Amino acid sequence: MSVVGGDAESITALGPIRRTTLVRRIGALLRSNEEHVWRYSARSAAIIPLAGLAFVLSVLVLKAWPAVKVNGFSFLTSSAWQPGSTYGAVVHTNGVAHPPGSSYGAWPLIAGTLQTSIIAVLIALPISIGTAFALTERLPGWISKPLGFFVEILAGIPSVVVGLWGVLTLGPLLAQHVYPLIANHVPNVPVLNYFRGPTGYGEGLLTSGLVLGLMIVPIIASTTRDLFMQVPPLPKEGGEALGLTDAEVARWVTIPWVRSGIIGATVLGLGRALGETIAVAMVSGSVLGHVSPNIYGTMTTVAATIVSQLDSAATDGTGFAVATLAEAGLILAVISVAVNVAARIIVNRTSRLSAPVGRDS
Amino acid sequence: MSIISPSVQRTRARRIRETLFRAAAMASLVFVVGPALWLVIEVIVRAVPHWHWNVLTTVSQGTSGGLENAVLGTLVIMLGVLIIAGTIGILAGIHFAELARPRKNGKASGAVLRTATEVLSGFPSIVLGYVGYIALCVGLHWGFSLLPALLILSLMVVPYIAKATESAIRQVPTNYREGAEALGMAPGYMLRRIVLKSALPGIVTGVLIALSIAGGETAPLLYTAGITNNLPSASLIHQPIGYLTYYVWTDYNQPTNEAHYVSYDAALILLVMVLVLLVTSRIIVARTQRHAEGNR
Amino acid sequence: MIRNSKSRGYLVSSMALVLAGTTFVGAFATTASATKAKKHKAAPIGVVKVETPPSANLTETGSTLLYPLWNIWAPAYQAKYTKVNITTGGTGSGTGIADAANGTVNIGSSDAYLSSSVLATTPTLMNIPLAISYQIIAYNIPGVTAHLNLSGLVLSQIYQGKITNWNDSAIAAMNPGITLPNLPIVALHRSDGSGDTFIFTQYLSRQDPTWANSVSYGTTVAFPSIPNALGENGNGGMVSGCAATKGCIAYVGVSYQAQVLGDGLTYAKLKNGNGQFVMPSPAAALKEATVYQNQTPANETISMINGRVNNGYPIVNYEYAIVNQNQADSKTAQAVRSLLEWAIDPKAGNSSQYLNQVNFVALPKKVVDKSLKQIEKIK
Repeated sequence: MSVVGGDAESITALGPIRRTTLVRRIGALLRSNEEHVWRYSARSAAIIPLAGLAFVLSVLVLKAWPAVKVNGFSFLTSSAWQPGSTYGAVVHTNGVAHPPGSSYGAWPLIAGTLQTSIIAVLIALPISIGTAFALTERLPGWISKPLGFFVEILAGIPSVVVGLWGVLTLGPLLAQHVYPLIANHVPNVPVLNYFRGPTGYGEGLLTSGLVLGLMIVPIIASTTRDLFMQVPPLPKEGGEALGLTDAEVARWVTIPWVRSGIIGATVLGLGRALGETIAVAMVSGSVLGHVSPNIYGTMTTVAATIVSQLDSAATDGTGFAVATLAEAGLILAVISVAVNVAARIIVNRTSRLSAPVGRDS
Repeated sequence: MSIISPSVQRTRARRIRETLFRAAAMASLVFVVGPALWLVIEVIVRAVPHWHWNVLTTVSQGTSGGLENAVLGTLVIMLGVLIIAGTIGILAGIHFAELARPRKNGKASGAVLRTATEVLSGFPSIVLGYVGYIALCVGLHWGFSLLPALLILSLMVVPYIAKATESAIRQVPTNYREGAEALGMAPGYMLRRIVLKSALPGIVTGVLIALSIAGGETAPLLYTAGITNNLPSASLIHQPIGYLTYYVWTDYNQPTNEAHYVSYDAALILLVMVLVLLVTSRIIVARTQRHAEGNR
Repeated sequence: MIRNSKSRGYLVSSMALVLAGTTFVGAFATTASATKAKKHKAAPIGVVKVETPPSANLTETGSTLLYPLWNIWAPAYQAKYTKVNITTGGTGSGTGIADAANGTVNIGSSDAYLSSSVLATTPTLMNIPLAISYQIIAYNIPGVTAHLNLSGLVLSQIYQGKITNWNDSAIAAMNPGITLPNLPIVALHRSDGSGDTFIFTQYLSRQDPTWANSVSYGTTVAFPSIPNALGENGNGGMVSGCAATKGCIAYVGVSYQAQVLGDGLTYAKLKNGNGQFVMPSPAAALKEATVYQNQTPANETISMINGRVNNGYPIVNYEYAIVNQNQADSKTAQAVRSLLEWAIDPKAGNSSQYLNQVNFVALPKKVVDKSLKQIEKIK
């Protein structure tokens, strides 16, 4: 019965297509096994991300292995980024060929990656919660809906365009008017003296953190907004009936209700900030080999270093520079994956909905 | 008196705190929307006064000229990602939503595949680009070309499409299936005619967002697609291909005004493309929501 | 698997064919050139005969400094030889070299000559000079329009953070009569790997042994970590960064010379190997290159930095095409030869009509001949 129904439907759907016997036979075969066709093609497709991930990781590990053998554990702690003399006689360490004088340490890159991302999250999280609160509790629908959509769209602005704005507009403006103001007025006490000293030229740690913060706000804010809207009205009304103010309802009812969802979204935003490349390459100042002495200083991150150094690494005939970049990439991958897995665990534990976090769908 | 005064003070403190909280919430909204508007306006202000429509019809000269090659290249890349990642992502989403049946021990099968997909969605794109360059461009001798770029971008966005497809299918009301089953439909036929059809808007939205991500990427393309000022060729390998983000990234800090205009024009075209995709996806969502509400 | 072995079969047979073909063509070419040599015994040097190419698709990737020139060359060449289609790409010298070694492109372009380690992995790779470039040292000191005298030693100390202000006595001693302001120096360097970093650090190494022993030279070096250092992407970033930053100093490829003149922004006279301070100019660069043309070896791997040349500008380099001797087939090889011959022909690609647009200098005649010899090896 069902097969007949299916046949009739498909034939009308095929309509004017010229049907040779062969095509008809294949069509009939496919239709009679439709469930199997779906099942096998869907399963093979679902294997592709796993296969791709395995491929990417094995290429990375294989490529990084010589660098791991030479650079050793000090790769994580050393600050030098010295490709050595690519024109000198090749030397060998632990059986791995590399240019004489080459010495690599990823500490400034790792530190830069973590610093910029943490600044981004510290800025983005409160702003996102405030935005979500304003959108769900304070503003009427006719204005909060388009504004909410605008916040979502912000997530889709290409990072190179955000970087363009950061380097041409935001950075110079902050360096001329804002940073000197902060640097000159912050008291010279521990922790806060990190905000003192030379304020640079608009490219550096704080500018990178701010730009990254702007990029991850939409991810955290739109998720938080969706979460706030999922909080049932009853507990909130209960809080109001007890005489709580809006702030207290948010503090004691709404935010605790969706706390782990917010944490999940935040960690996801953190993951995006860790891996962001081109915007940071544009606004970080791109200086290798040192950790910024204060919050305004130039620096770089793992991702930005890979993009700006891969080309010249290819001139190292021993392949050691390229291998070292693979090692740096591996470290970045491990950090990002760890952060993302943590986010998924938190999100999955709390939200029964399997909507993609950070995306409205 | 002595009893009332602390509570009055507390009330005043609470009122102040409440006002501060509301002000902070509105201020954060301003801090999000303000820079975003500023950014968009900045791109428009920098690009529009010097805009010439022949940007779309002449090829680039690097630091001057048009962007025809880049616009077409970006469209070709998006089309390729649509074909590759669209197919894989939708099928994978179907697998996660429909076919990964619970095992006898109660655990859903496909946990490994699902975890792999989620891990991939948070993978740094530059690392994917690095692997694309090393393994595909150099290792397989493909050179800077379209195919490695498509494979790497597809790997990047497949998780988005799979996730969107999965949740779109999950949101198909159970009574649709029950109805179809009651009519005696074969499972495969039901999947195609009932489930996928109802989930289609959600899937299309996911695909459009994925395309906007792919079209706006820079870092992984620099080392897989390469760059050329020529128009896209029919060749999948051995021929580099131009794309918009490259010109934004390269020309903004060239010392001539002509080069700056190329960069701003590319940024404007990118913004328009991404906005069109996102607004389209939004309209689809709004329409289906209205539809669903109407049916309720 | 099946497809793989099949294609390998094709590959082997086609390679055999090519081998046979090249032997034949080679034999023919030898006799032809032998008779030619007899006919024109006193063949004038620096004269190029451009082969007529068969139809072919050629690709070029690499140096962003040579890219603008390729974008002028390619249409001009294709206008004359319509059967050849050229795709150019400014991807960076490193990937250009890697692509050429790999065989994924026909021509890679590079600002730096090949290193021994690259040649060890791909011995059939050649670097063929196509033109001459030089580098200018730009700075932005408001109120100072004079071309300052600077030396490698002073520059080295600036980049090491030992000289931090423009009113430093070491700079003043070199520039009598010029009052320099109390202004901190901001030292710009390239954040991406670059041939410009290569020749600049080579100049510093030649004039300051301390630099040679601590930092040395390369396309990426570990610039000393000083507070006033700033990384910039590309030559363009160096120029616009310097224009925006008062007190900056930057090394910039000559293609950008026209942009390095403006409000306070100008370039320096550099101390050469003879101790003279020389203005960067095509004539001064040519002087340096002309002296080096005799020393240029057959494989044309040579540094022309800091020569003891009377009034020669000290930071001069060849812009190279990186080509694998063994091309995919003899037709492609012929097209590559034709294109490169056209490019170095003083009457065609090496004429001022093209080179002036990017401020490059034409190859001296003896170098044209040496490049031609290398081009003939492409098979």
